[in-house]
Amino acid sequence: MPKRTTPDIILLIVTFTLLAIGLVMVYSASAVWAEYKFSDSFFFAKRQMLFAAAGIIAMFFIMNVDYWTWRTWAKLLVIICFVLLLLVLIPGVGNVRNGSRSWIGVGAFSIQPSEFMKLAMIAFLAKFLSEKQKMITSFRLGLMPSLSLVFTAFALIMLQPDLGTGTVMVGTCVVMIFISGARIWHFSILGLIGAAGFAGLIISAPYRMKRITSYLDPWEDPLGSGFQMIQSLLAIGPGGLFGLGLGQSRQKSFYLPEPQTDFIFAILSEELGFLGGTFVLLLFSVLLWRGIRIALGAPDLYGSLLACGIIAMVAIQVMINIGVVTGLIPVTGITLPFLSYGGSSLTLMLMAVGVLLNISRYSRY
Amino acid sequence: MRVSNVTVRKRLAIVLIAGILIFLIIDIRLGYVQFALGDLLTQRAKDSWSRNIPFEAKRGEIVDRNGVALATNKSAPTVYAVPRQINDADATAEKLAESLDVKKKKIYGYITQRQSIVRINEGRKISHDKAKEIRALNLKGVYIAEDSKRYYPFGSYLSHVLGFAGIDNQGLMGLEKYYDKELNGEKGSVKFFANAKGQRMENMADDYQAPRNGLNLELTIDSKVQTIVERELDNAQAKYNPDGIIAIAMNPNNGEIVAMASRPDFDPANFRHVPPEVYNRNLPVWSSYEPGSTFKIITLAAALEEGKVDLEKDHFHDPGHVEVGGARLRCWKKGGHGSQSFLEVVQNSCNPGFVELGDRLGKDKLFKYIKDFGFGQKTGIDLQGEGTGIMFNLSRVGPVEQATTAFGQGVSVTPIQQVAAVSAAVNGGILYTPYIAKELVDPETGETVMKKTPVAKRRVISKETSAGVRRALESVVAQGTGKNAFVEGYRVGGKTGTAQKAKDGRYLENNHIVSFIGFAPADDPQLVVYIAVDNPKGTIQFGGTVAAPIVGNIMEDSMHALNVEPRKQQIEKETTWLDTPMVKVPDLMGMNRKELREQMDNLRLDVSGKGNKVIDQAPSPGTKVKEGSMIRVYMEEGS
Repeated sequence: MPKRTTPDIILLIVTFTLLAIGLVMVYSASAVWAEYKFSDSFFFAKRQMLFAAAGIIAMFFIMNVDYWTWRTWAKLLVIICFVLLLLVLIPGVGNVRNGSRSWIGVGAFSIQPSEFMKLAMIAFLAKFLSEKQKMITSFRLGLMPSLSLVFTAFALIMLQPDLGTGTVMVGTCVVMIFISGARIWHFSILGLIGAAGFAGLIISAPYRMKRITSYLDPWEDPLGSGFQMIQSLLAIGPGGLFGLGLGQSRQKSFYLPEPQTDFIFAILSEELGFLGGTFVLLLFSVLLWRGIRIALGAPDLYGSLLACGIIAMVAIQVMINIGVVTGLIPVTGITLPFLSYGGSSLTLMLMAVGVLLNISRYSRY
Repeated sequence: MRVSNVTVRKRLAIVLIAGILIFLIIDIRLGYVQFALGDLLTQRAKDSWSRNIPFEAKRGEIVDRNGVALATNKSAPTVYAVPRQINDADATAEKLAESLDVKKKKIYGYITQRQSIVRINEGRKISHDKAKEIRALNLKGVYIAEDSKRYYPFGSYLSHVLGFAGIDNQGLMGLEKYYDKELNGEKGSVKFFANAKGQRMENMADDYQAPRNGLNLELTIDSKVQTIVERELDNAQAKYNPDGIIAIAMNPNNGEIVAMASRPDFDPANFRHVPPEVYNRNLPVWSSYEPGSTFKIITLAAALEEGKVDLEKDHFHDPGHVEVGGARLRCWKKGGHGSQSFLEVVQNSCNPGFVELGDRLGKDKLFKYIKDFGFGQKTGIDLQGEGTGIMFNLSRVGPVEQATTAFGQGVSVTPIQQVAAVSAAVNGGILYTPYIAKELVDPETGETVMKKTPVAKRRVISKETSAGVRRALESVVAQGTGKNAFVEGYRVGGKTGTAQKAKDGRYLENNHIVSFIGFAPADDPQLVVYIAVDNPKGTIQFGGTVAAPIVGNIMEDSMHALNVEPRKQQIEKETTWLDTPMVKVPDLMGMNRKELREQMDNLRLDVSGKGNKVIDQAPSPGTKVKEGSMIRVYMEEGS
């Protein structure tokens, strides 16, 4: 076993910077809502602070847990997550929030099994692909088994339904399979099949179709399907280069629903302008660079794939979230890592960074 | 085949580059939204944040030519509710419903609407007392806002001309409708920025857009003359209880309508209290009927212009009827007027005499003049619902039609057509388009936005002919059928008219429209006054008996109101045994008592002072007074 060195300090700094920006923005975006709903403008900010603290503690703990530990547990974790994904679909066990039956548990101790599945799947796939790398060029022996597993999980997530999380998970896994050396032409064919399946999924559900049409012309139904997109653009647009100033957002005043969660980047762009938005994107780019660097420096293929999977998950989630907020892609409910309000999302992200940091400690550079 | 480490490293690099590229695309998109779409989105966002509280514009006032307000605005409280501020909708609805005397359910419906502010329609333009009562209820979320209501300070005065405006201050009738666009202003608003819950956003300044008030409309109407006309119509209404009365006073020299009235009338504030046909029809421009003898002025003017008659020298014998095309047309006087000059034909309004004039003109000439004087077409006055009248189709005109037309029967004309035509006949020969709106004035700047100038349509007869018509018509009043319109010193000219009313193709018995059209002073007419009384009761139905005295009264007071100087020269009134003759006050200055006694046989004297020489007298020499009037003289010691 290689000797541990210091973790990636830049990754740590970038993560903390994003976390700090997130805390400030959660307060700014949620203050009006919190005051209105709970008579406490710090309601969400205080909770986010607690989540962040818990997340940081978990991150530092996991940073010191050898990442090979996850290889040992990967199979069990995936099985547990599959069970949870099945349980959550049972009415009475799974709770419905925002139209999706994706929560399990009681009150503050509720979790989203799909969020855990993302991480479990990354750990399992890293183990599976690093062990079966010889067979990855084989369609039948390498590619098919891994993809089957991923799509089974995806299908379960889609039954909730939660297209956002499902897409992030599939995207992450596809990147991992690609990294591990799968053949390009296999990818091309599967890409075509996947695109067709994705299109089928969208057409099969009227609400998804509506999201597409409202994406193409949000002003066609400004109070219905185009509402969130319009309110988001109405926040970003007036921001300009420097923004309206911290705390000066108008769209957070009940126009943009729950501005502290999925659409926090819209409020950030409104208050801090193009410069603020670009700075956040830059931080995520640095994060991506450090993640890939850790993957490159990992002592074994398992470490490379694990690091790559984690950073791919973060990056894809950022791309989808900001893509939605800026009207680049149709509305899909997904949080912005480190910035959006939300306990599971934030703590899981920090835990994932903890794994990354641990891998970085064994870096060959 | 084992995948080499190199492949993994290469692919990791590809993923990094692809990821950075996608981030770059997203950043470009962010810039596009903030810069390229920024202005558009900012505008839309502002529209979405802003709440407008409308500020009603003030409707323009309608004033007479001297600035006297005829239609103005009165503040009228209106009840509004802000549903979000009402905690107990049930109790609020109950109290409000009781106060406004409407069903509770209705009010409840208003105050539970999901709107930021709701107007209670049943609480619009309520009285100040009612508003006070509602204020006293002290209901949370219920407000009394100021609105304005059209107010007509003179009540039913000029009502048909002014018309009225509805609850939204929109013109519904009369000038209020004809000039609605100009009288209406543009709504303004206070725009404040609010969050999605309707509360004000403190960090954004309010935006006030002032309402643009409506333009003030100045009329050609002179309220002094209008008041005289309204008074005379009220008197006539009381005296004769007619089916209707029509009055028009116009300045013949430019077509300005100085007064216009009719009966039955209505109060614009309560127009619903009368049947729609009363407020819908402005009779002076709407109604159309056989004019009768007033129409003879047209035949007279035509005959004079064409040189077909010399009023003094040509003579005519009226046996009381005339045979035309096998029909016998009677003169209104049984037995006829006998032998008379054509001036006397006019004075006596002798029908066979006018049949003769029509004959001398021929039908083409007669009908050309009728058309030139504006009959058979709308005058173009700026009032709604003008009638056209009915003329004989020229191809159908035979001897009988030509004969009856010459004295005003068998044709149908509107009062305003007659006034315009007679004005042309007496003003020197020019036909003007009558009009009633003089100016539109911006109430803020005082700037005149629109100013109407007289429109001369055409010359119909020459100046000389017009003078001849005036002379003849002055003699009608001084010596003929129009004596009741005579006003000392003001040289009233005019013509009576008595028209039978036709119903179902037959003339009605004892049911006439009696009329008189007069002008003064005859040397330089300043006013044309037309009066028509429909079926007066308890009197002989003659224009000279019923309508002429009304015109005389209107003329006398209006001449004073318009500051027209009395004339020295006039055609003296031919007295009958009914009239008290007028005498000129002699110059008594310097006379002694003996001379005084010799002078005064038809006047009484009131002598004061002691001497034997008159040093002052009242009235002054040359003044006309009734026979037997008192003359006061002051005497002092003479040398």
